[in-house]
Amino acid sequence: MTMLLFSLWNSPTVTLRRNHPSNCEQWNCPPARKVHVCNFISQVLASKIVLIFCISLSTPINCKAIELFDSVQIHGFASQAMFLSSGNGMFTDNKSNPNFEFTELGINGSWYATPNLRLSMQVLSRRAGRWDNGSPVIDFGLMDYSFNLDSTYRVGIRAGRVRQPYGLYNDTRDVAFTRPSILLPQSIYLEGARDLTISGDGLILYGESTKPWGNLTLELFGGYPRTESINNQFQAVFGYSGVLESNPSFVGRFNYETYNGRLRFALTGAYTTATASKSVPSPNGLVTFAPMIFSAQYTTEKWTLTSEYDFDFFKGENLGLPGFPINPDFNYFGQKYYFQAAYRFNPQWELMARYDAMYPNSHDQSGYQASIKSKGVSPDYSHYAKTMTVGLRWDITSTMMIRAEYNYINGTAWLPVQGVPTGVFGISDNNQTSKYWDLFGLQVSIRF
Amino acid sequence: MKQITNNQLSKRVERCIVSLLLPLVLLTFSPMSAAEDVVAVVRKGTPVATPISRIALSSIFSMRLTTWPDGSAIRVFVLPDDNQLHSIFSKQILRLFPHQLRIAWDRLVYSGTGQAPVVLNSIDEMATRIANTPGAIGYLPKDTKDDNLAVLNVE
Repeated sequence: MTMLLFSLWNSPTVTLRRNHPSNCEQWNCPPARKVHVCNFISQVLASKIVLIFCISLSTPINCKAIELFDSVQIHGFASQAMFLSSGNGMFTDNKSNPNFEFTELGINGSWYATPNLRLSMQVLSRRAGRWDNGSPVIDFGLMDYSFNLDSTYRVGIRAGRVRQPYGLYNDTRDVAFTRPSILLPQSIYLEGARDLTISGDGLILYGESTKPWGNLTLELFGGYPRTESINNQFQAVFGYSGVLESNPSFVGRFNYETYNGRLRFALTGAYTTATASKSVPSPNGLVTFAPMIFSAQYTTEKWTLTSEYDFDFFKGENLGLPGFPINPDFNYFGQKYYFQAAYRFNPQWELMARYDAMYPNSHDQSGYQASIKSKGVSPDYSHYAKTMTVGLRWDITSTMMIRAEYNYINGTAWLPVQGVPTGVFGISDNNQTSKYWDLFGLQVSIRF
Repeated sequence: MKQITNNQLSKRVERCIVSLLLPLVLLTFSPMSAAEDVVAVVRKGTPVATPISRIALSSIFSMRLTTWPDGSAIRVFVLPDDNQLHSIFSKQILRLFPHQLRIAWDRLVYSGTGQAPVVLNSIDEMATRIANTPGAIGYLPKDTKDDNLAVLNVE
């Protein structure tokens, strides 16, 4: 459900009041020092936890799991990022430079109760500005029953809270080690919609066949995507109070890779709907999102070339309130894609370059019509984003990694709502964002 | 000006081709000798027929094939990603790069869809753990002698 929040961010939304320094000068509101102090303390605390975690885990040189019994494995990861921005703040609207608003901590366990039945659970604490505050959540918790028909066919079912099969990187999107960069290509893996795409409560049926001509895997998900982070910020997103609940949704992924894994193709299709019930008497809003993603990856010993292309249908109905000056409903055919090249010039070092483009409404790529329709509330550049990224990764050991990256961005279509400054009456003010901006990031990560 | 006969020309071309191909041929064959030095090994008595197909073997090490033909669990042991024997076994026997295996294992572990192999520190540890773990599979230098182990040939 990549785009749920995008156009909503650009509609006249009310944001939880943040005391942005420039707003305070402009509107003469009292600065809320306590908030700043609290934020600072929690930031320092989280950074320290990551640091302690890093030190305690960086001792084993090899990538080893904790083995309790033969059938049980415990794994974990932690990462802390720092961002410097010339324009829009990443995960924070106060443009504080540098900001440390991005922390990921996770631990998981997996147990083979029988050779065919596995239980698995992961707890994740994620901090990404005010959107995700770091409180631990069950990221997945599932029962997986699989059966090898012979050495070439396998079928299975996963039930519980399961990862949605979505593109190439969604399965492990919070583990920095498995990402190509600090921030995933935002066109396909939109930060603001991660809640709805990451895991869902339901079932996955899967089947796999491995033959001399390659491996075919089909995964079908049916269930309820999660909405908790969105509901924490419902008012900020929709401009009124209420609750967003996902309806039964479906995701399917068909994956083919050659026998040696050098070439991989995936096709993802999803159909997701969510209902917004408002606290005031008014018909419920309905959001429908149906993407189709084509993924391709070519790997050699030193190179990995990746591209994903998304074509989606995205519609919002009855999202406004009676008397709203602007109708926030929309009906879009979006187009998003990226090209990425990674070069491992040494087993421990990797260079990465990427071009990423996002047009939420492919019939209005310049954003001109959307800007007119919003009566100037959302500028044209908030309806597209073109991002150029270069990055360098250094795997110091197999359990510790550090990376740096630089993004040059034209447009703010993927800028998370946390990054949009609040203007008069606490309304998100997209006109206070910058059209052209540079974003530099640094990240330290460990895993076991 | 020196005249080049057809015969001379074809000899030159031949020499050129040989000098270009020889290193290629050597490159292709020299690592094969290394491949002969490492073998897949199971605990003696494991219900699997040798030779095993390369596909089945790489499915086992990719952690996609998790049970032996009799339904018992497969226990996979490997050496660290940067270990030379691991690299030779991955590239020459499984025909996969170590980084591809790592990506596959990470996807299983951090998405709740499977488990990773157990990483051991040394060849000695590998031999001991395979010998003592029911359903175990790993790899060892060809010259390893142990009565509790059985070599699994690849067809």
